[in-house]
Amino acid sequence: MRLRLAVMLVLAAAPGLLAAQSGPSRLQGRVAPAALPTIDSIIAVAVAESLPTEPLVQKALEGSAKKIPPDRLVSGVLHGLAQLREAHALISQAVPGQPVPEGHVVSVAAALARGLPPPIVQRLVAMAPAEPPGPVLHAAADLVAHHFDPDSAAGLLIDAHTKGLRGVRLLDVATAADHELQRRGGRTHAEVLAHVRDMLPNVPGPKATVARP
Amino acid sequence: MSTIDLRLQAVLDGERDAGDLPADLRETYVRLMAAAELLEAAPRLSVAARVMAEVRQLPAPAPLQNLGPMRRAVRWLSRPRAVTLRLRPVWTLALAAGLAAILLLPLQPPTSKPTPGASEGVANFVGHFPGARSVEVVGSFNNWTPGVLPLNDKHHDGVWHGTAVLPAGQHEYMFVVDGERWVADPLAGRYVDDGFGAGQQNSLLIVRPSTAEP
Amino acid sequence: MNEDADVVARVLAGDGEAFGILIRRYEPGLLRFATRMLGNPDAAADAVAESLVRAYRHLAQCRDPSRLRSWLYRITGNRCRSHLARRHTNDIPLSEAPAPALAEESDTWEKLERSEQVALVERALATLPAEKREAFVLKHVEGMSYEEMAAITGARIPTLKMRVHRAREALLAALEEVVDEHN
Repeated sequence: MRLRLAVMLVLAAAPGLLAAQSGPSRLQGRVAPAALPTIDSIIAVAVAESLPTEPLVQKALEGSAKKIPPDRLVSGVLHGLAQLREAHALISQAVPGQPVPEGHVVSVAAALARGLPPPIVQRLVAMAPAEPPGPVLHAAADLVAHHFDPDSAAGLLIDAHTKGLRGVRLLDVATAADHELQRRGGRTHAEVLAHVRDMLPNVPGPKATVARP
Repeated sequence: MSTIDLRLQAVLDGERDAGDLPADLRETYVRLMAAAELLEAAPRLSVAARVMAEVRQLPAPAPLQNLGPMRRAVRWLSRPRAVTLRLRPVWTLALAAGLAAILLLPLQPPTSKPTPGASEGVANFVGHFPGARSVEVVGSFNNWTPGVLPLNDKHHDGVWHGTAVLPAGQHEYMFVVDGERWVADPLAGRYVDDGFGAGQQNSLLIVRPSTAEP
Repeated sequence: MNEDADVVARVLAGDGEAFGILIRRYEPGLLRFATRMLGNPDAAADAVAESLVRAYRHLAQCRDPSRLRSWLYRITGNRCRSHLARRHTNDIPLSEAPAPALAEESDTWEKLERSEQVALVERALATLPAEKREAFVLKHVEGMSYEEMAAITGARIPTLKMRVHRAREALLAALEEVVDEHN
């Protein structure tokens, strides 16, 4: 009942969008007919709000592959829409007056889904608004997942960025902290972060993640 | 279902003192706490002997150089080979070439090295599923389409593996065992709730572009 | 302070028998948690045994041995979820939910014997969806902080708070129902 109400609220916010959809849905044949019209209209809402739609399409395909019942499938896609909205709002606040790239919205939504606190996300997005935020946000989420203090983790990554580390190299900062934690028992998380900060910008690179022809 | 007064929720969350509650809320508080207390009774069971008997049959869980059944897999991880598939999101292909030839581009001989493009990287998948009849990887990189990226148990030791060239970036995926059991990759290290309300988590893979600075 | 990390180090150094210390330390809580999640002590014992064997096999990957408890609960929680998923429902089937022992002369909550009270509360808990059941059990039965619950479930703290709040409401309603039924 609550789900039906939520769907109605979403649709009420964007009247006529369902009719605006044209052409066969990419989801046709993959998504249960009972859920398809509602999911199509949720995607249409995302289009109307200038939000990326690919994550919602992927979520619908994922749920269908997992044989999630229609009501929970719709609920999962709605949840995805809510995350994209939250991500968009958060970027707009972090970098006021600038256009919000779809890629940024996807990365920020992913970081929120991984449990990164919104103020930390905002701080890291504001650190380098023109750069894709995916790697730094994943690096922060990795650190938080390993129980490093979120504020201190963001501070370390901002230092790493100041010292010239960019893109996926920021992931190596989180990996270095994790390795230090495992290698040297008895040290506090704060001590480990301080040690990694001293290493900057010379944190080790990946060993086995990339094959080179 | 009636809602619980926020003052009572705060007390139950340990944010306020129970003494501040009016009598009617205190009654509800007592009832909930009594229910929780009743549930605290632990079952009179023990699995210790059974677990230890099983554990004694296993290799010592030492760090990576002595991982027993996983040992070969981990070594294999550091030495990518056996390119199985090249996968791109269906939607990019759909733009370029229609939906037809999505999945099996190009199937290379099993011994050739992966050759990722500038914005691609190699992903290795390893899972330990003793007794499984089939294991495959299903994820955002193949539009969550089963039957696209099967893993192999080459040595018949329950260690299943496969390699794919994927677009650089973030991908969510799961292993599907015997065509029906969805399992998160225990070696993924990164997980995200799948959002469908059952608390299931997808594994998260971040593929680095092959041209990324070391 | 950090005894778990010491024991983990012993096991990783080759003293497999030391794993028994960890089993004894965490087994009661894990069994209680799994029983509340699955509504069936036998299924719970299987889930906990499998989880402990799995924990042993992957002990080297426990990133923070000082938080071993959270890691063990996380593995066990995942195992319970897989078990529930195999049943294609998050709910405990009524056939597996403990039925209240009927005491003919008991007509009020207060008069019920303790074991009957436990059975009634278990029955009410079994009506909650798995997510709420887990949230309530971790918070109020296992007495965990929201931070530790977040480490175990992977969910965000505000989400967990919401789940616990809803779980309390649902449990109260379910309690009223089962007590009414009983009467």
